[in-house]
Amino acid sequence: MYPQQVHNYLRQFFLENECDLVFEDEHYLTVQLTIAMDKRIMNRPFYWQYVEATNGEPNPAQVTFITDQNAMSGKVIGEVVHFGSPRLNQIFQATRELGAFVQMFQKVDAEIGQVLLTPWLGVNYKVSYCCDRTKEMLYSFGINLLTGTINNNFHEAINSIDWDSTQSENAFYVQHIIKPERALQRLDKAIDAIIQQDDHTWAEQAKKRWQRDQRVLDYFYEDVEEKPECYEVEKKALEEQYHAKIKIEIVNGGLFYMR
Amino acid sequence: MIVERSSDWQEGFLNRLNNAEKWHSWTLYKMNYEIVKMNLIPEFTGLQAPKFLPKLTPLAHQLEAAQTVIERMNGKAILADEVGLGKTIEAGLILKEYLIRGLVKKALILAPASLINQWIEELNQKFHIPAMAYKKNCPIERYDIVIMSMDTAKKSPHKELIYAQDYDMIIIDEAHKLKNHKTQIYDFVQGLKKKFCLLLTATPIQNDVFELYYLISLLKPGHLGNYETFQSAFSASKHDLQHDDYLKELVNQVMVRNRREDTGIEWTNRRVQIVPIHFSPEEMEVYQLLGTLTSTASFSLITLQKEMCSSKEATALTLSKMLENSAEREELEEILAKVMALEVNSKAQKTLEIIEQAKDKVIIFTEYRATQIYLQWYLHSHGITSVLFNGKFNKNKRDYMKHIFKEKAQVLIATEAGGEGINLQFCHHVINYDLPWNPMKLEQRIGRVHRLGQEHDVHIYNLAVEDTIEIDILALLHTKIDVFEKVVGDLDAILTNFKKTV
Repeated sequence: MYPQQVHNYLRQFFLENECDLVFEDEHYLTVQLTIAMDKRIMNRPFYWQYVEATNGEPNPAQVTFITDQNAMSGKVIGEVVHFGSPRLNQIFQATRELGAFVQMFQKVDAEIGQVLLTPWLGVNYKVSYCCDRTKEMLYSFGINLLTGTINNNFHEAINSIDWDSTQSENAFYVQHIIKPERALQRLDKAIDAIIQQDDHTWAEQAKKRWQRDQRVLDYFYEDVEEKPECYEVEKKALEEQYHAKIKIEIVNGGLFYMR
Repeated sequence: MIVERSSDWQEGFLNRLNNAEKWHSWTLYKMNYEIVKMNLIPEFTGLQAPKFLPKLTPLAHQLEAAQTVIERMNGKAILADEVGLGKTIEAGLILKEYLIRGLVKKALILAPASLINQWIEELNQKFHIPAMAYKKNCPIERYDIVIMSMDTAKKSPHKELIYAQDYDMIIIDEAHKLKNHKTQIYDFVQGLKKKFCLLLTATPIQNDVFELYYLISLLKPGHLGNYETFQSAFSASKHDLQHDDYLKELVNQVMVRNRREDTGIEWTNRRVQIVPIHFSPEEMEVYQLLGTLTSTASFSLITLQKEMCSSKEATALTLSKMLENSAEREELEEILAKVMALEVNSKAQKTLEIIEQAKDKVIIFTEYRATQIYLQWYLHSHGITSVLFNGKFNKNKRDYMKHIFKEKAQVLIATEAGGEGINLQFCHHVINYDLPWNPMKLEQRIGRVHRLGQEHDVHIYNLAVEDTIEIDILALLHTKIDVFEKVVGDLDAILTNFKKTV
């Protein structure tokens, strides 16, 4: 992520969360946080406890973020933010929490007349394969709540559509036949199927590494009748190091009414 | 296979279907997806960490070391680069990689007390890893990345507190301190769970090959067999290695060692020489008299002889202590009188000569405090300014002394303990006034100046008095270097630029 991208990201993030930009230049921006945002990113729970307990005047912080320190000539005092910096990671985390659930309606051109919009459930999954190494994959699935048809490249398909967060008078919104809860279960199954068909030599190889290290460890304590505690500790460490598991996590998802 | 899934999202979604909570914005939804996609770890192999560290430019050998440790050694390794090549950077890269990949949540770093602040600074500033120095009564369970000294860690109640944490990764700096398996610290580390583990040392063998055996047995017990099999296979006698190549190969499976010359960086040269000293007849007389002390334990005798090769001040101090309860009072008093009567210190004279010729900053390493103080006085009387340095100094005092040395004084006189953890690239002359028994101590000393950032050739002067125990020490140092090179790999020049085969 280049400084310019970081800058645009911060800008969009704060505007979207109703924080005013007090001042902005190409390389830095000063933001007036809302109370909710201050609580989320300023790490000062005691201040807020105090304000609330005493009915004090809340005074959310104003922060300056410098997004390209190298390009700065003047003496702006602020927090340097770059890709990999703890602050940006924190804002990424906030984005994850604040952009997880949507209900969207496709925009309808008033001149076309009444349009029928079909409900879909869209879910983005992050799947991680973990042993002593990791690999992650992102899957985007959508399921038609009338027919049960599954689209396995859903996010790309809906990304360029114009959306509204409210219903329009010119559209007719069809009621779902498949309940969203049920639909989610179907998508979960679809993910399971994909994982099952995948190549899992990584897990077998991890098991081989595990067995090899276990043999080495056993050899060390071969002639010891009563294995000391550190044998058990090492054995447990090997298990934690190598045992293969798969994590499935939902990044975000929602209901989409579309043509 | 175990599949873990979380139902958090489902709950939040159902809440919103029931109008219990607000929906989010489309823009943030898209941003979330994009960020997750961007931060995805697409492959089991390769390093992700550099992408997250735009301010850090690791050197090629450091990246390669990190990748080797993760992909070939599965995260358990000895990092044994020569001094000054950036083992800390390599360890930081590896830790960062595991943190990014979610394989490590909690890590414990053990380092000498004098290096703790340096670790904190490097991890926080270079790697954005929020590491905390452990202090008494600090709630250890609340911090994920904790740094503490070995001396603290091995003692109660800290030891029990550490055992109660579930660390995913253990990093031990200056790991040669674990060479002796009969120590408290060895015991402590042996009992730690080591899922991922890095041992950092430039000197995995200091005296004999068993030190390496014990180090590897901490990391991966059984890798070099158990004690009996190792002993019978690899060491009929300590210095006679039967299966050097085989052992070297086994060692290389768990150890990364970069040498200066492999790094592709232009290194300045090391000009190492042994400077022979000739005692004056009076000094030699005293030295030989010491050898006649028959009822003195041989260990004390060796100490006295080494001290006599250093300064009369060091010798006199020990002699006076011995006087208190010795059967040889008369002989001791006689020698002490002769010691005190000595007017010339041949070694100090030579040292002065070297400093005057160098016309530059010089570090002198001595093993004795008495010699250290004497040398400062002696140099001062010849118009040469110097500062003292020893391991007991706290961080502030160290930094201050380093500052004075850099800005004002010509000479820094350090005792052995000063050898670790200070970087003095601005100096290019090192005098080893006394020789230690262990060649790796010499390497650590030289490493203070011959490291990344050094722009000049580095001159090393190893002083040894002819016809004394120092000549025997030299021979022993050669033998030990030979063992190291057979098992671990080549070493940069320590004693002399000319290789001597033993």
